[in-house]
Amino acid sequence: MQWVLNAIIRYKNFLLFLFLFSVGLIFSGSQSAYHNSQLAKSSLIISGIIHQPANNLKSYMNLMNENALLVKENNTLKNLVLEKFNKAEILALEEENLAGPSYWSLPSKIIRNSFTQARNIILIDKGEKNGVVKEMGVIGPKGIIGIVNQTSSGYASVLSILNQDIKINAKFKGSDVFGSLYWTGESPNKMQLADISVINSVKTGDTLVTGGMSFYFPEGIIIGTVYEVERPNNGGYYFITVELINNMTDLNYVYVIGNKNKTEINELLERTP
Amino acid sequence: MIQYYTRFYTVAVILLLLQVLVLDHVNLFGFSDPAIYLVILITYRLSLDQFGFIFIGFALGFILDLLTQTAGAHSIACLSIAFMRPVISRFALGANFDQPNAMFTGTLWTNRMLYLFLMIIIHQFIFALVAYFSLAHFSIIFKQTLTNTLFTFILISATINLLQPKK
Repeated sequence: MQWVLNAIIRYKNFLLFLFLFSVGLIFSGSQSAYHNSQLAKSSLIISGIIHQPANNLKSYMNLMNENALLVKENNTLKNLVLEKFNKAEILALEEENLAGPSYWSLPSKIIRNSFTQARNIILIDKGEKNGVVKEMGVIGPKGIIGIVNQTSSGYASVLSILNQDIKINAKFKGSDVFGSLYWTGESPNKMQLADISVINSVKTGDTLVTGGMSFYFPEGIIIGTVYEVERPNNGGYYFITVELINNMTDLNYVYVIGNKNKTEINELLERTP
Repeated sequence: MIQYYTRFYTVAVILLLLQVLVLDHVNLFGFSDPAIYLVILITYRLSLDQFGFIFIGFALGFILDLLTQTAGAHSIACLSIAFMRPVISRFALGANFDQPNAMFTGTLWTNRMLYLFLMIIIHQFIFALVAYFSLAHFSIIFKQTLTNTLFTFILISATINLLQPKK
C-alpha cells in the first residue's frame, strides 16, 4: 500500500495535470454537442454582466454613426412599406385569403462579437423574458447573422454564421438552385457554398439569398454575392466562394427573427413516422 | 510572502480585465488578439510550489473560457504551459533556472527572452490547436500561432519592463 501512496505523492503534479486536462477536454467537448449544459448558461450570464457596462460606454461613443445608419435603414424600410401598400391596393382581393405574415422580428443590441475564432459567438441583450428561444434566426441591417444557441433570462448567445459547426441553406436569387453555405475560418467576409451542381450556370456577382428549406430564416434574405467560381475538372459540384454582404466585424444592432408557425411545424415533423 | 500574493492576485485581476475588455477587441490586421494575461503565468515565482501553480494555470484559463465563450481552449492551453513551465525554464534559463524571480533578476537577458518566447509560442500553438480541433486547418493554426506570438511577445516584454521591481 505504501508504494501506491508514494507514487501518488511523487507524481502528484502529473496526476493533477491529467485530471485538469480531462476536465478541460470535457468542457471543450461539450461546446458543439451539448449546448444546453448549465455551464454554458452560467458562462453566458457572467459574460453578459461583465461586458454590458463596457459595451454601454462604447455604444454611447458610437451614437452619431449609429443614428445615421438607423435613419438610412428606416428609409429603406419605409420604402418597403410603401411598395407593399401600392401592391396591396392592387392585389387587395387576392391577399384577403392569405394568412398574416408568419415571421416577427425583435430588435436587439450586440454586447459582444467575436470573429477571430474557429467558432464565433455573438452575445445579444435580449433573452427569454423578451421571447427569445433557442434556434431563432438572427439578421442584421443587410443580411443574415446567425442562429440563437443559448438563452438566459436577459441575454442570448448567437452562433455566428462564421462558425465551423453550422451550415446555412441558401439559394440563388431568381432561381431555385439550393446549396449549403459554410465557413472555413479563413476570412470574416468569405464563405463557401457547397452542393451546387455543375449543370447550373453560376457566375461571379450572382446574388445569394436564404432558401426556405430551414425554418430559421424567412426565404429571400440576402446573404452575399458570388466572389469566385471554380469548376472542378472531374466531379459534379462547383467550388464557390461567397462574399458576405454584412460586415460581420462591425455590427451593433441585429434583429431576432421568430417563426410563428415553428411549434406547428415541429409538431408535424415529430408526428411523421 | 503575503505581500507577494496580494500583489500577484491584484496584477492578475487587472490583466484579466484588460485582456477581456480591451485586447480581445483589438484584432490587429483582422485576426490577431495579443494575449497579455500570459504575464501572470510567466512572472509567477519559479521557486514556488508547482502543484499550486498548475491549479492557478487551469483556473486562469477556465475564467477566460467563461468570459470569452471559447469553451476549453484557454483552459487547456494555460494548464499545459503551467505544467510544462519547469521544463521550459530549465531549457531556456540554463544554469540559472532556480532563480526565484528569474524574469526580473539573476539571469541573462537573452535567456529571459528565450524563456518568454517559448512560453508564448507553446501556449498560442496549443490554444489554436484546441480552438480549431482539426488538422485540416493546419495552415490557419500555424498562421494564427505565429502572428499572435509576435504581437504577444512585443506586448509582454513591454509589460514586464513596467512590472520590474525598483532596485
